[in-house]
Amino acid sequence: MEDHEILLKFQDPASRNLAFNQLVRKYQSKVYWHVRKMVVDHDDADDLTQDVFVKVWKHLSTFRQDAQLFTWIYRIATNECLNFLSSKRRKFLLPLTDVGAELAAKIEADPAIAGDEIELKLQKAILRLPDKQRLVFNLRYYDEMPYEQMAEVTGTSVGALKASYHHAVKKVEEYVTRTTDD
Amino acid sequence: MKTAFKLDAHPRRPRPLLSEPPAGYFDKLPTQIMARLPQADARETALGWGWLSFLSPALRTGLASVAVLGGFAASFYMSGSAPLVPATAATASLDAVPRTELVGYLLTSGARVENSDLAVLTAAHPAITKGFLHASEEELNDALDAQPSDESTYL
Repeated sequence: MEDHEILLKFQDPASRNLAFNQLVRKYQSKVYWHVRKMVVDHDDADDLTQDVFVKVWKHLSTFRQDAQLFTWIYRIATNECLNFLSSKRRKFLLPLTDVGAELAAKIEADPAIAGDEIELKLQKAILRLPDKQRLVFNLRYYDEMPYEQMAEVTGTSVGALKASYHHAVKKVEEYVTRTTDD
Repeated sequence: MKTAFKLDAHPRRPRPLLSEPPAGYFDKLPTQIMARLPQADARETALGWGWLSFLSPALRTGLASVAVLGGFAASFYMSGSAPLVPATAATASLDAVPRTELVGYLLTSGARVENSDLAVLTAAHPAITKGFLHASEEELNDALDAQPSDESTYL
């Protein structure tokens, strides 16, 4: 079902639930993996994905349609992730690097990555980035999202996003190079 | 010398190597999300108060304070304006009390009733004492003879 059909059906109370169910089915995987890349842990990603869609439900009637629906959902998901990570840091009074180390430990324990030394170092390098820079890196590197769309999701200018991604790539390359044996 | 790692040279994956979610996760997720959505009646309530969501948090707090203070003021106003019961109502309700109970109350409650009051009452209603005063005529005469003369004026 196309986005405009979903939105049209959502306006009608009789078909609202059906439309929203379609919306969830259409975007759940993308939202889940966007969140999972940021929080690493499946259970956290599961909670946050559900929270994101509950918020989408609450605010979909106010969606102005001057942006793509998915960009809007991505923006909600991004804010949820950033709030989750910053509240986690506040709750346990952790500095930035400790949350990165915690996430890195989860990556290390993940059987999917076992044995792939370079991939593990790459992930550790990404997790050392500040949250917002990591978000920019994920959107550009993994999702290959155009900078213009990234600007809508993050509320940041295209120029700033390009600079942020450039610096992120440099940091990642330096970390992997430094920690790799000859 | 270490070989510099170049991200462009690294095989690009659509996402990091993370374990997949449990089997059937995406089949169950829509149901879980739908179950968490606000119920219809809650939604209607929210719509009724939906305009509150357009106010800033500071304005909502101010509005709540005004509502609480207004509630206190209204309760004070209401408690101070209770209507007075007309005196005639008390008199009317007193008529419904049996006469014997009234006399019993007057005799036992310490209310100050003078002999002259009783004399006036018995003059108007000669048989009023029959319900509670069981004395022979002789006993009554003896009691009357014992009274000072100025207090038997009305008898």
